[in-house]
Amino acid sequence: MKYGILFFISLLCLSACKKKDKPLPIFGQREVVGNDTVYHHIANFQFVDQDSSLITNDTFKDQIYVADFFFTSCRMICPIMKTQMLRVYEATSDIPDVKLLSHSIDPEYDTVALLHSFAERLGVSSDRWHFVTGVKDSIYKIAQTSYFATAMEDKSEPDGFIHSGAFLLVDKQQRIRGKYDGTKEDDVNRLIADIARLKKEYE
Amino acid sequence: MFIASVLIWGCGPGGKSRDSKFQQYLVQGEELYLKHCSNCHQKSGKGLGLLYPPLDQSDFMDQNLDSVICLIKNGRSGEILVNGKKYNQPMPGVPLLSDLEIAEITTYIYNTWTHDKGIIEVNQVTSILEKCATRQ
Repeated sequence: MKYGILFFISLLCLSACKKKDKPLPIFGQREVVGNDTVYHHIANFQFVDQDSSLITNDTFKDQIYVADFFFTSCRMICPIMKTQMLRVYEATSDIPDVKLLSHSIDPEYDTVALLHSFAERLGVSSDRWHFVTGVKDSIYKIAQTSYFATAMEDKSEPDGFIHSGAFLLVDKQQRIRGKYDGTKEDDVNRLIADIARLKKEYE
Repeated sequence: MFIASVLIWGCGPGGKSRDSKFQQYLVQGEELYLKHCSNCHQKSGKGLGLLYPPLDQSDFMDQNLDSVICLIKNGRSGEILVNGKKYNQPMPGVPLLSDLEIAEITTYIYNTWTHDKGIIEVNQVTSILEKCATRQ
């Protein structure tokens, strides 16, 4: 009986260790084409960041990145998201191939100049953290279809928009590998740990 | 030291010192602060970068109680100088707050972190709010 319990405990330990080594899930639908599995990946996009640089999928070639959706005049969850994203920025400061991408869902108001000042005031560098603006519908579409995030206008909301506070972890093949609540410190801790796990896949 | 602080409290702007009304203002004020203010100004009152100014250790707060009460209700935009640093993020007001709720928030932020101003009474808030309403 004693040995049985010991055996059970060691099994538990083993499975716990195994779980740790398991690769991160790959989100979204997948198709099998011939012998290849085609995973859901981020569709083509083209936005402009706070330095007026063109930001496309190529910007994140061979990069891991974290994406979110916000707007500068938002007073509800965005400031918390930015506080938490700043933690991710600081935690990944010495990892050169990790970038951050914040999309404005109020791109008409959030001009390049405004995003520039916002990023500067947050004290972050544009080569690691891109704040992008662009065609509103393209941003909403990519949010909903590529990142599985909610972002749309809603005049009945206090701030005029509804959007999720999600942070999405995207791998070097532009596949989504994690979704986190960007308003919760614990979830963001998990994201920071997952970035390190994801990085190991490429070592 | 204890007696001295009690004496100071007795003479201070708080009037009746830390009585139950003051405690109630603080408790309600904290709840309202966490709901309406801490997203930007943080629970710690430290603000965020040069986007959202700190409330803890703020010369603006020390010198502008009336403006603080008005901007909680009506919001504020344009540049603001806090501790020598320029901030320029528009702050939306919370017009639905009652005078009492504003008194509670104000009491909370002026008696937390490094602040120790004593209670800010609702009738004080009402008369200040009347003035900022006529100015606009």
